[in-house]
Amino acid sequence: MRVLTFILTAVLLILSVSVPSPGQTASLRMAIGRDEGSLNPYTYQTGYPGWNLMTLIYEPLFTPDADNIPQPWLVRRYSVSPDGRTWTLTLHPNIKWHDGRPLTADDVKFTYEYVRRHAHSRWTSQVRLIDSIETAGATTLTIRLTAQSGGFLMQPLAALPILPRHIWEGVAEPRRFNDSIGSGPYRLAEMRDGQFYRLVANDAYFGGRPKVRELVLPIIRDATVTFTALKAGEIDTTVRALSPELVTEFEKAGGLKVVRGAGYASTILQFNLEHPILKDVKLRQAIANAINTRLMVRLLLLGYGVVGSPGYIHPDSPFYNAAVTFTASKSRAVQILNEAGYVDRDRDGIRDTPDGRPLRFNLLTLAGNPIRVRGADLIRTWLRDIGIDARVVAQEDASIIAQVWPDFDVCKGRNFDMAVFGWSAPVMNRATSLRDLFHSDCRFGTINIGGYKSAEVDRLGNELAAAVAPAKQKQVLFEMQKVIAADVPVHVLFYLDGIYAYRPDKHDAWVYQKGQGIVNKLSFIDPPKR
Amino acid sequence: MGPAPVPFTPRRHGLGAAGWAGVLLLGVLASAAVLAPLVSPHNPEEIVADPFLTPGRAHLLGTNDIGQDILSELIYGARISLTIGFVAAALAIGIGTTVGIVAGFFGGWAEAVLMRTVDLVLVIPFLPLMILLAAYLGPSYWNIIIVIGVLVWARPARVIRSQVLLVKSLDYVEAARALGGRPVRVMVRHVLPAVLPIALAQFILAASNAILIEASLAFLGLGDPTAKSWGMVLYYAQVRNAFLSGAWVWWVLPPGLLITAATLGFAFTGFALEERLNPRMRGGRGC
Amino acid sequence: MRDSTVWRFLAGRGAQYLLVLALTVALNFVLPRMMPGSPLVFLAGEDVGFLDAEQRAQLYALYGLDQPQWKQFLTYVGNLARGELGYSFQRGRPIAEIIGERLPWTMLLVGLSLVVATLLGTALGAMAAWRRGSALDLGTLGVAMFFESVPSFWLGMIFIAVFAAGLGWLPIFGAVTAGQTFAGWALLVDRARHLVLPLATLTLITTPGTLLITRYSMLSVLGEQYIATARAKGVHEQAVLRRHAMRNAFLPVATVFMLNLGFVASGATVVETVFSYPGVGRLLYEAVLNRDYPVLQGTFLIITVSVIAANIASDLLYPLIDPRVRRR
Repeated sequence: MRVLTFILTAVLLILSVSVPSPGQTASLRMAIGRDEGSLNPYTYQTGYPGWNLMTLIYEPLFTPDADNIPQPWLVRRYSVSPDGRTWTLTLHPNIKWHDGRPLTADDVKFTYEYVRRHAHSRWTSQVRLIDSIETAGATTLTIRLTAQSGGFLMQPLAALPILPRHIWEGVAEPRRFNDSIGSGPYRLAEMRDGQFYRLVANDAYFGGRPKVRELVLPIIRDATVTFTALKAGEIDTTVRALSPELVTEFEKAGGLKVVRGAGYASTILQFNLEHPILKDVKLRQAIANAINTRLMVRLLLLGYGVVGSPGYIHPDSPFYNAAVTFTASKSRAVQILNEAGYVDRDRDGIRDTPDGRPLRFNLLTLAGNPIRVRGADLIRTWLRDIGIDARVVAQEDASIIAQVWPDFDVCKGRNFDMAVFGWSAPVMNRATSLRDLFHSDCRFGTINIGGYKSAEVDRLGNELAAAVAPAKQKQVLFEMQKVIAADVPVHVLFYLDGIYAYRPDKHDAWVYQKGQGIVNKLSFIDPPKR
Repeated sequence: MGPAPVPFTPRRHGLGAAGWAGVLLLGVLASAAVLAPLVSPHNPEEIVADPFLTPGRAHLLGTNDIGQDILSELIYGARISLTIGFVAAALAIGIGTTVGIVAGFFGGWAEAVLMRTVDLVLVIPFLPLMILLAAYLGPSYWNIIIVIGVLVWARPARVIRSQVLLVKSLDYVEAARALGGRPVRVMVRHVLPAVLPIALAQFILAASNAILIEASLAFLGLGDPTAKSWGMVLYYAQVRNAFLSGAWVWWVLPPGLLITAATLGFAFTGFALEERLNPRMRGGRGC
Repeated sequence: MRDSTVWRFLAGRGAQYLLVLALTVALNFVLPRMMPGSPLVFLAGEDVGFLDAEQRAQLYALYGLDQPQWKQFLTYVGNLARGELGYSFQRGRPIAEIIGERLPWTMLLVGLSLVVATLLGTALGAMAAWRRGSALDLGTLGVAMFFESVPSFWLGMIFIAVFAAGLGWLPIFGAVTAGQTFAGWALLVDRARHLVLPLATLTLITTPGTLLITRYSMLSVLGEQYIATARAKGVHEQAVLRRHAMRNAFLPVATVFMLNLGFVASGATVVETVFSYPGVGRLLYEAVLNRDYPVLQGTFLIITVSVIAANIASDLLYPLIDPRVRRR
C-alpha cells in the first residue's frame, strides 16, 4: 500500500511538473534586452522590465491593477486609521516561500526594516516615513507613520517585495547576494549570464495556478535582432515596445498580434533653469512655441503617440487637467522674442540678449535613442528658423547623465543648457510625481534636474505629499499643472504609445496595464481570491 | 598545386590594373564628395517627403525615418566618410612615422621607451579609450577622427621602424652619420625619403581602416549621430529596423556597399603602391 | 649564438614586458575612472535619484568608492596581488566567475575563427602568389579585398536576414537554444548550429588579412636569389614551393598569428553583439556602458596578460622558426 501511494505521488508529481494543465501555456519565450542580476530585489537592474519580472518571484503586499490602482495581494484585509497614520494589514494565511517555509508578518516587518538599513534606491526613501511596525500573530501587522502620506499605498506597499527573513537575516552585502527564493507564482530555475533566464511556475502558490507553465527569457541586446526573432517565431514576444515603423509590417504578418495603448513614458525638452539666459521664462515660452510637437508625433512616431501636455501629465491619466492647453505658433515665438528684446544685434543671423550675448545653446541628447536624436535635430532646425542657434550634442547615456544629472543627485547641480530627455512610465504614476519633478528643495524634488524654483509649486507640492484622498490629490495636481504650463520649466514633446507584439497562439491572456504595457504580473496570474 | 605556374613577368610600370581600379574608385567617390551640392537631388538635412518612402522617381533610394532623401544623404556622406578616412590616417601616419623613425634611428633607450609605448597602445582595449577621449574632447566627428588617429598609429610605427633599421645600415646613411651630420638633418634628408613609400602605403591602409572603425563605432551607438557619414546612415537604417522590411535593399545595402567601395579603393591603391614602392617586393629579380 | 646572449636577451625583453604589464595594471585602474559618469545607478538601480546623502555614502562605502583614489588604487593592487578581481558592480557576482563563464564562448568563437582564418588564408595566399597575375590570383585577391572592406556588423546582419530569418536554416541569436537542455550529440549540434553564422562572419572578415600577408611574403620570397637558383637547378616546382618558399614565407604569418592569438581573449565585440553571443567582447562593451569598473579592470587584465604572453611566446618561438635569426 505504501509503495502504491509512493508511486501514485511520484506519478502525480511528474505530471504536475511536466504537463501543463488545460488552458495553461506550456512554455513562453519572452526576450529581454539585458541581464537583470539574480532577479532578486537587490540585484535586478531596470525599473522596467526588471522590477516587473522580479515581482513574479518576490511579491509586494499590494499590486497595481490594470488601472494602476494598488489592490491587496499578499494582504487579505487592511484598514487605515482616520488620521491616515496607522495601517493595519492582515496577510493571507497560507503563503509559502519557494523552500516550503511559511511567509508571515514577521517576514514583512523584517523586510521593511532591512531596506531601511541596506540602502536601496527605490525603497529606502519610501520607508523613511515609518515610525514603527508591530506584528500580532503570524498574519497581522500594524505600521505607524510619522506623518500621513498620500503615496504610501503605491510605494512602498505596492512596490517593495517581501524578503524571506530566514534567508536574508545574516546578509550584510545584499548586492552581492544572489539567492532567488521568493514567494511568487514563479521561481527561478536557471540563469545564464548574458544568455537567458528560465522561470517555472510555482505549484504551491497560494493564489492559484499561473497562466504560463514555463517562462524563458532570452537576452538579446540588439532591438532589430529581437524583432527579427519575433517575426521568425524564434521567440513568442518581447518586453521591448515595438518600433512605430514595424506596426503595419507586424499587423500584416501571420501569427502575430499587435496591441497598443497609452504610454506614460515622456520625452521632454529640459531647460537648465539656472542658465543665465534660459532662466528667462519669455525665452522658454518662445522656444516652446517654435517646436511643432504635432509634426514630431507624425514624423518620429508615425502617429503612434500623443502630443505632450504643457502640465506634464498624460491626457489618459486620471489627474490630467484638460483645461490647461498649449498650441505652438511660430509667429508667436517671433513676437515674444521681439517684445522681450531678443533681436539680432550683430547681424550674424542669431538673436542676442539685450546686453549682447548671442542665443547660442548646446542641446544634449542620448546617442543610444535614435528617436530622441532625431527629435533634437528637428528642434535645432526649428530654433534656427527663429534665430536661435542650438548645437545638438549626442553622447552615450552615462556621459549625458554626468552633465544633466551629476551623480544622479539634483543637490549637486547641473552643467548643461538644454537637453532632450525623458522619464519612464512609473514617474507619471506616482501620486507625488509633480513634486518629485519640480520641488525646489532637492531633497523633495529628487528629479528636478533643471533646478526649477517656484514658491507656489513648492507650497502645492507639500500639500500634495500630505494629501491622502484622491479628490484632494487631483485638485492640487490640477493647480500645479497650471503653474507649470505657464512657467515652462520643461517642454513636454510627446508620449510614445506602448505598442507590443506577441504570438497569440502561444499565449493570449495578456493584460494591458494603463500607460505601462503588457509585461506585468496580471498577464501571468490572476489576483488571489480574498 | 596543379599545372605549371604562371611565369614571372617583368614588373610593369605604374600601379597595375588593381591599383588603377582603386584610384578610379576613390576618384569617383571623391568627386561625388566635392560635387555633392551639384549632383545631389536634395539637401540631405531637409525634410522633403514623408518618412519611410519606398524608391520612386522623386527619391531614387526612398526616404529615411524622418523623410530626408537617402540618395542625397549618401552623396553628402562621401564628404564626411572620406574626410574621416584621410584625416584620421594622416594623423595616425604622422605619429607613426615620427615614432618609427626616431625609435629606429636612435635605438637604445629612446627605442625601448617608444616601442614599449607601441606595445601598450596595442594592448589597451579600444572601446573605453574611445569613450574616454570622446568625452574629453566633446562629441563631434572631428573628435572621432582624432580618436581613431590616436589609436591606430601603433602598427604603422612598428612597420616603419623596421624599415628604418634596414635603411640605417645603407651605405649613404652610414656615411652621412660618419661625416658628422646632425641627427635631425640625417633623419629628414636621408631616412625620411627612404621610408616615405612605405608610409604612403600604410597611410592608405589606415584610411580604409578608419572608415571601417567609424562605421563600427556608429553601429555600437558611439558615433556622432549628427554627422551624416555612411556609417551613420547605416546606423539609422539599422535602428529603425530597415532589415525587417524591404527597405534594406535601398537603405542598408547602398551605404554598406559604399563603405566597402571606399575601403576597397584605398586598399587596392595601397597594396599596389606597396608592391611597387617596397624594394623587396620588386618581383622578377634574378629571373 | 651562445646561451648567455639568449638569456640576456630574454631577461631584457622580460623586464620590458613586466614594465608594460605594470603600466597596464595602472592604466586599467585609471581609464575606467576617467570616463565621465557615475556607476551609482548600476550600484543602486534606476531610482537612484531618490537616495539621500546618507544612503549614497553607505553605498559608496560598500564599494570602497568613498576612499581617496590612491587608497582605492592600493586596495586594487593588493587584491590583484592576492589574485582577487573583486565583484561586479552591476551583477553582484565575482569577476573571476563572470569572466570564467564568458571566456570559453569567446575562445570557441574567436579562437576557432583565428585557426580557420589562418589555415584558409595561408593556403589561398600561397596559391595566389604562386599563380601571380593569373585569373585565380586576381579573383582571390578581389574576393579577399571585398571581405576585408566589409563592415562586420553589416555582414552579420545580412547573414541573419538571409540564412536565419529568411531561409530558416540557422538560429538568429544566442550560443545555445535558450531554456532547453540537451545532452550528447544533440548538445553538440545545438551549439554548432548557433556557432555557424558568427563564426562565418568573423572568419570571412579576418581571413583576408592572413591571405594578403601570405601572398605578400610569398612574393618577396619568390623574388629572392636562392629560389631563382633552385629553379635554375631544375628542382621540381612543387618542391621549390614547399621546401623553400613556404617555409620562409610562413614567418610573417606566424608573427601575425601569435599577435592575434593574444587578442582572442578580448573577444569580438561587434560580432558578439550582433549575434547575442555571450563572449568577453560583449561583456566589455556592456561594462563600458555601465561603468562597471571591476569588470573593466578584470577583462583588461586578462586581455593584457594574454597579449603579453603571446608576445613572449612569439619571442621564444621566433629563433626556432626563422633560421636567419638563429644564425645571427
